[in-house]
Amino acid sequence: MLDKNKKFSCSRRSFLKGIAATGATAAVGGSIFDFKPGSFKKAEAATGTSAKVFQNACPRNCYDTCAILSTVEDGVLKKVTGNPKNTYTRGRLCAKGFSYTRRVYSPDRIKYPMRQKGRGSGNWERISWDEALTEIAEKILQIKKEYGSTLPICLNKYSGNFDIMHYGIEGMFSSIGYTSRATGTPCWPAGIDAQTFDMGTIICNDPEDMVNSKYIILWGVNPAWCSVHSMYFVEEAKRRGCKVVAIDPILTQTASKADLYLQIKPSTDGALALGMVRYILDNELYDADWLTQNSIGYEQFFGYVKNNITLEWASEKTGIPEIVIENLAREYAATKPANIWIGYGMQRHTNGGANVRAIDALAAITGNIGKSGGGAQYAHLQTWGFNYHAMLQSPPEGSKGGKDRAINMNNFGAEVLGAKNPPIKMLWIACRNPMTQDPETSVIKKAFEAMDMVVTAEQFMTPTVEMSDIVLPVTTFFESPGINVSYWHWWMNLNEQAIKPMYEAKNDVEIAMKLSAKLNELEPGSCTFPTSGDLEEWVGKEFNDNIYKQFGIQHWKDLKKGPVKAKNSRVAWKDGKFLTPSGKYEFWSEEAFKFGHHPLPVYVEEMKATDNYPLRCISPHWKLNIHSQFQNLDWMEAINDAPSIEIHPRTAARYGIKNNDNVKMYNDLGYIILPAKITETVSEDIVVVYEAWYKNRNYNVNYTVKAIPADMGEKATGMPGISFHDNFVNITRV
Amino acid sequence: MAKRLSFLVNTEKCIGCHSCEMACKNYYQLDPNIRWRKVYPLHEETFTLPERNFMSLACNHCAQPECLRVCPVGAYTKRKDGIVIHDHNRCIGCRLCTMACPYQVPQFNKKYKKVEKCNMCFQRIDKGENPACVDGCPMEAITVIDLNSFDELGTVEAFAGFPDPRITQPSVRFVKPQIGFQVRRDR
Repeated sequence: MLDKNKKFSCSRRSFLKGIAATGATAAVGGSIFDFKPGSFKKAEAATGTSAKVFQNACPRNCYDTCAILSTVEDGVLKKVTGNPKNTYTRGRLCAKGFSYTRRVYSPDRIKYPMRQKGRGSGNWERISWDEALTEIAEKILQIKKEYGSTLPICLNKYSGNFDIMHYGIEGMFSSIGYTSRATGTPCWPAGIDAQTFDMGTIICNDPEDMVNSKYIILWGVNPAWCSVHSMYFVEEAKRRGCKVVAIDPILTQTASKADLYLQIKPSTDGALALGMVRYILDNELYDADWLTQNSIGYEQFFGYVKNNITLEWASEKTGIPEIVIENLAREYAATKPANIWIGYGMQRHTNGGANVRAIDALAAITGNIGKSGGGAQYAHLQTWGFNYHAMLQSPPEGSKGGKDRAINMNNFGAEVLGAKNPPIKMLWIACRNPMTQDPETSVIKKAFEAMDMVVTAEQFMTPTVEMSDIVLPVTTFFESPGINVSYWHWWMNLNEQAIKPMYEAKNDVEIAMKLSAKLNELEPGSCTFPTSGDLEEWVGKEFNDNIYKQFGIQHWKDLKKGPVKAKNSRVAWKDGKFLTPSGKYEFWSEEAFKFGHHPLPVYVEEMKATDNYPLRCISPHWKLNIHSQFQNLDWMEAINDAPSIEIHPRTAARYGIKNNDNVKMYNDLGYIILPAKITETVSEDIVVVYEAWYKNRNYNVNYTVKAIPADMGEKATGMPGISFHDNFVNITRV
Repeated sequence: MAKRLSFLVNTEKCIGCHSCEMACKNYYQLDPNIRWRKVYPLHEETFTLPERNFMSLACNHCAQPECLRVCPVGAYTKRKDGIVIHDHNRCIGCRLCTMACPYQVPQFNKKYKKVEKCNMCFQRIDKGENPACVDGCPMEAITVIDLNSFDELGTVEAFAGFPDPRITQPSVRFVKPQIGFQVRRDR
């Protein structure tokens, strides 16, 4: 709980006032939904209950990873606000963050363990935790006996909750022996590898440093929807005189606010970057000193550009006039410091990694890397140096199999079905919803159908739960303690338990403990995971001296005073010491060559539309959700409760489609039917459908998305990414 | 001198993220379909180039509030600082105000069979704090101003499609969005 002293700008007193104003003074056990609006005078007089304020941390797979303050009264979560002590969150939240009470108290929560008779039948029955764990444990032991190892058991856990404690579910799997693991990361690995080849790893400047930029290129990134708190710093930079350029095939919300928007042809970003390099080269606008001091291979790179790249070619590739490329290149090279924010959207292509390398090279030759207000920003994992105590567990002695088996998360269905010696017989899904979020939904479904048992730990009846045998209710982050950091900003936010677990929900670590107890009861020594423990103490076990030093704290409990920011945050690569084999920025990367790529940042041809499928479907994030979370909540449904397909007016006219007409979007994999939204925010050669899960709607853009690997990702994340935006389709009015 | 409190909405800063609306719902824990503040998209066609712009609207606390004029039971009062307050206890749910307001601000809540609306967080205002929507906006696009002392230069009273402000003299001002330069393949 927060220290209730005066230092804190949002004191307990002002919270009490706030509560008085809301009239939210229901008696113990009263639902928060019984609050009657109005009746203000009465409510003001009726204070007296004690409100407590807790620190929470939004654990979603989002740049912003917000610091939240939650107000709890009589054990009920009354409201949330941003924590003003976090200078990135700045006391504000996004629409999703402000909707959390509706998630915690949603009537749709999975309330207790349930068993389904027949996957997909909807024939669920409530069972006790003991029954559920017994059934699961018996299955694990039976599989181990039958196959001689636990390798037929596969875990698919990823980004639904990035709280460090949630790695306990991986820990539980390590504790039963060697198992199969969904490996990789769907959304961003091509860019990670690109920056790893160039600089040794991913490190970005503190996003709060953007206010120091004089020129910002937002390249294939939409912070206005996906990182609202960053958008404030972009706007602040603008106010201080910075020019903001957005490059995107979609006129995104971000692009709409930019000074200059370039409607680039999808997947040709590398061609634009290389065209700009050519101009900078010809006009000697590069930073020769920086290149000689900090890089290797720039001569070869310049040679490649001189021999292979022309502005005419770049213009033809990208659809951007030569004169515009020239102006952009001159402005970018001449205005210092200049910052490029490389989005995850633009690397979800078969040439995504190569495109990121080309953009990195542009930032490097202009000497913008290692500068405040400069940089080629992608992401960082520098604040993630936890002990991973919950995750790193040892297998029982004598475990067979030798090591865990990697199953490509990005082609999950096919790889589960194709696994041999031993086959995969059991799935455990946590913090994921592959039935809506993975490509090739029909193959995912087949993989689920082929299992002996599917267990999913969830909060809602997602399509993944619908295809499971047993569902286990998990807590929200208000109901159990944890610790969170971001892959973008440099803050660490403690997550305190604010309310008791709802219904019979349990935290992933608790589930692991209970399952371990059951396994050991049935077969002593079959699981090494601790069978009991205090969750808050487990949070403490994640810390070490390096983290304390990095964040300037003595003890993790110091975080109870408020979030802290890493001391080494401000400027990435400031010292010019890169983590590549040469220690320099590598235009020529032997590592890249080892992984089958050209050693230089060259242009790799983009995927093109075909006669049968002439339109590219781009399926980016939607502003009211993060993947399959939030759009199912009633407050979101009040704003928007239906997906649509965005089509350019000329494209629509060609197909005889009018606004709100039902449109079938299809390819040889599948189809979806959606109402048309005619808009010039999209290009003529693309359609846009936002990925999401709407409850009670058979809507899933991944019905049409193939599991085509992106060019990079294998080095840093074990598997290449997915080319989500190389999805070619046709449309017809129905 | 009495105040004339008003929302100033900067539509250039506004990114249509709905945080203001949700901050309000969160603060008052409103019923799902009740929206005291709403974010409306402005039509693409009203700009010279396709744009994504929005107008965030709550109660406009009009100088001549129609809700107050038509209410048969005196549920509405206008404070000296201009805030128009709706008293839930007095309301009989006749819905005359929902028909009279040109901005569709008062909303009928079927659960209570009464109307409700934005009160500009007057208890917070009285304590020197900002309304929840103002404090919730990540872009700081909404502020509370006093029209009696506010220099309105650079702001507008309405957009295309916004009901004529002469009817009720709404206490709301907007900063208009700027249109950036666009290099497009389709124009």
